[in-house]
Amino acid sequence: MASKLFSSVRLLSRSNYGLPYFSRTMSSITAATGSTGVDEKKDDHKGITISVPDKVDISSITGVPEEHVKTRTVRIFVPAVNSMQSGTFNSRRWRMEFDERERWENPLMGWTSTGDPLSNTEVNFASKEDAIDFCEKNGWDWFVEEQQKPKMRIKSYGANFAWDRRTRVSTK
Amino acid sequence: MASPRIVQQGIKQVKPLMSVDRTEARRRVLNLYKAWYRQIPYVVKDFYLPITVEMGRNKVRELFLKNKYVTDIRAIDMLVIKGQMDLVETANIWKQRNHVMMFFQDTVNPKPKDFLSKFYEGQD
Repeated sequence: MASKLFSSVRLLSRSNYGLPYFSRTMSSITAATGSTGVDEKKDDHKGITISVPDKVDISSITGVPEEHVKTRTVRIFVPAVNSMQSGTFNSRRWRMEFDERERWENPLMGWTSTGDPLSNTEVNFASKEDAIDFCEKNGWDWFVEEQQKPKMRIKSYGANFAWDRRTRVSTK
Repeated sequence: MASPRIVQQGIKQVKPLMSVDRTEARRRVLNLYKAWYRQIPYVVKDFYLPITVEMGRNKVRELFLKNKYVTDIRAIDMLVIKGQMDLVETANIWKQRNHVMMFFQDTVNPKPKDFLSKFYEGQD
């Protein structure tokens, strides 16, 4: 790859720079990371595995600005069911979303604007643990809103005719 | 509302990115640092940067030290790869002047901190 391709390229003429290094070949730069290039592994590394911590913080690698790693809080929750439908499919997943940043109305068109690159981001997960792992990995602060399960009341038609008829309770 | 964090730290076996142990990873980081250090005079000359060599080297040092808490060997390797790519792009002058100066963030306005500056800024 890059280090291979440009190993023979020489940099611009340095002779009139008056610098202590008259020329640095490209290879001296591309080979900076050791005797092996960046993009090649030693043959004897091939079958080797190394042990690393289970949980890795990749926030230094992702390129996400520090501002959006350290100052953001993630809410992990089960989305609410649609109140106009009886389906419960929504509540079978866990979702994460970021804290809300400022939004404002565009003065010309009235559209809603925001300067927040993570706004409206929602990521769905099969389980709460997956979502937590993802947040930990990316270095975000998180909190979990536990799922509220509705209690189903047991109703039976026959109970209407029971001798003590406890089913009809006064609403007042 | 907030549930307590579960701190579990296990060890797992993975394929190495480049380095197999910390010594090797450390050697790569130092090599990269040296390469950047030696390249800085040329960078300043090539791009006509409004900085001194000293300032450039301090910036390199600062950027390397920013990641000194990274312990995972694979993460270190990945950072080295990215640093290497940056170096090659700079040395080949694939970057432009402003791309190099972006490390210094001179044109980025600091976020308003106190009440009145936030008010003047009209945000938050």
